[in-house]
Amino acid sequence: MTILEDPIKEVLELKNYINGEWIESESDQISDVVNPATGKTIAKVPMSTKEEVNAAVEAAKEAFPDWRRTTPLARVRCLFRLKELLEENFEGLSRVQTVEHGKTIDESRGETRRGIEMVEVATGIPSLMMGYNLEDIATGIDEYVIYQPLGVCCNIAPFNFPFMVPLWFAPFAVATGNTVVIKPSPRDPISQVKLAELVDEAGFPPGVWNVVNGHVDAVTTLLEHPDIKTVTFVGTTKIGRDVVYKKCGETGKRAIAQCSAKNYMVIMPDCNVRRTIPALMTSFFGNAGQRCLSGANLVIVGDNKFYNEFLDAVVNTTSRIRVGYGLDEATQMGPMQSIDGKERVLGYVEKGIKEGGKLRLDGRKLDVIGDYPHTYFLNPIIFENVTPDMTIAKEEIFGPVMSVMRAKDLNEAIEMANGSDLGNAHAIFTSSGKDAREFQYRVQSGNVGINIGIVAPMAFFPFGGMKGSFFGVLHGQGRDAIRFFTESKVVIQRWF
Amino acid sequence: MKLNTASETINFAVKLENDSAKFYEDAAQKYVKTRKAFLSFAEENKRNRTLVERTYYEVISDALEAGFSFEGLNADDYPIETGLTSDTSYSDVLRRAIGIEDRIQRFYLDAAEKSKSLMADVPRAFERVAKRRNERKLKLRSLLKEDCDYG
Repeated sequence: MTILEDPIKEVLELKNYINGEWIESESDQISDVVNPATGKTIAKVPMSTKEEVNAAVEAAKEAFPDWRRTTPLARVRCLFRLKELLEENFEGLSRVQTVEHGKTIDESRGETRRGIEMVEVATGIPSLMMGYNLEDIATGIDEYVIYQPLGVCCNIAPFNFPFMVPLWFAPFAVATGNTVVIKPSPRDPISQVKLAELVDEAGFPPGVWNVVNGHVDAVTTLLEHPDIKTVTFVGTTKIGRDVVYKKCGETGKRAIAQCSAKNYMVIMPDCNVRRTIPALMTSFFGNAGQRCLSGANLVIVGDNKFYNEFLDAVVNTTSRIRVGYGLDEATQMGPMQSIDGKERVLGYVEKGIKEGGKLRLDGRKLDVIGDYPHTYFLNPIIFENVTPDMTIAKEEIFGPVMSVMRAKDLNEAIEMANGSDLGNAHAIFTSSGKDAREFQYRVQSGNVGINIGIVAPMAFFPFGGMKGSFFGVLHGQGRDAIRFFTESKVVIQRWF
Repeated sequence: MKLNTASETINFAVKLENDSAKFYEDAAQKYVKTRKAFLSFAEENKRNRTLVERTYYEVISDALEAGFSFEGLNADDYPIETGLTSDTSYSDVLRRAIGIEDRIQRFYLDAAEKSKSLMADVPRAFERVAKRRNERKLKLRSLLKEDCDYG
């Protein structure tokens, strides 16, 4: 058992990064950032004032004209330098995620890698941002389209991927000539502060990349600010749909709101059981189930024999998952990120029992490796006999809970998945190409997995859900991100 | 010690590379006639370590089964004896080296088998190192044969 060295030695006093400078907030509202495994405070984060949020937007607005005129090659050189710095600081950045979020070190390194991949893809902007043209649309007249940046873009980040999620957007935004204001989650803002330190070192001009800490008031200020042109948000459907998307509609901002999920993992009797089970462990219990791509409902198709054997294997493997501190390399599942999150899960467990679910594995009975306070920890939870009408089958729990359901055939399984109000990342596990195609064709989900438990699109593909899981038109990442962060302008020219 | 996570497994691989490199460096000091070969093994260990670590860090993703790919692997199944004493004979060193290579090769092959299709390029890197270990084992056997025939 190796416990990796803690990257934070003393309590950090976090500042805002505005116009290329680290500025102490004047706010008297300060929150603690807590390492959920140890329960210790590791940083103090200010809830910035409205004036400070406005200052960040103003700095980004001031920086925009010059940055926009900076050649794409010069812009991406900053990103290349950032990429190098991210590689050099890979391990430190990963450990920060573990101590502020609770995820395991493998998960944090995975998050760091995915973040870096966004930067790598965004360095392709000189090609990706090209327009197109056609000569002689009428005699002597040519037409072409050019893509131009929009201005100040903001990202409202969630707590579950404190390093990666802003990188789904910011590298694409700045590469296309925009400037950004990032508001990290107040629960785990250190990763974005560390990232901004590297941005500074990479030589981005002042004001191009800004970080302002805060909570609801900061979000409100950003959403209402007339100089913010785009808002990217990752969080719950309630906030994404009813606050962010609505407000963006009112104020004429472009929006990407990636929201809640209730993902169905459909198990066909012909699946490769040995390969499927590790994929399910990662899907349901990775990141302690706190991600929009997590499996939530496990639908087993098949007769009683297959059902019992498969579920026994799942329960057996799950019961052996080692829960502990993420810096302990032996840990397979870390704590919940917050006490609120844990209590929310416990509330759903109560509801599940009340509505007739059978608790097959009761993760409320804690078995944690090491001598850590149990405040934030949960062990994996498995419910059997879950039906689509139960609360635990319908609502996003955002924790390490697997709800096991049964379907008589693939058709019924697809109908169950499509009955959900949400549609982010459903998956099928099968050896049948025919069934896989049928599933892919019919299932209402923005991301579809075929023998994949975490359907996370790579940086060069778009990422977004369907139905209540997504509000907006263009998705994050890839070509969609280029289009999202640019305006297409058509020129028709004729020379006399 | 069970090795369930990718992080633990990679660290164990690094430890095997470091420990066996030290063994060859010590052996090179002791036996001049195969100094070059032993030092080249130690150098190759560094390259193996780089390959394994780099591959892991480049492909690790929150979407892969990093926490669950190596279930069943146990570090205790691959013990290597690396200490050399003044009375360790040349042929004993070679025999011990063959044993070390055998165990390390087995570790890499077992780890590759466990993680196939779950850890992307990592199993391939493990297989590559296992192949290098096998080639090394053949070389050590031929050195041992030479020693027995002419020693």
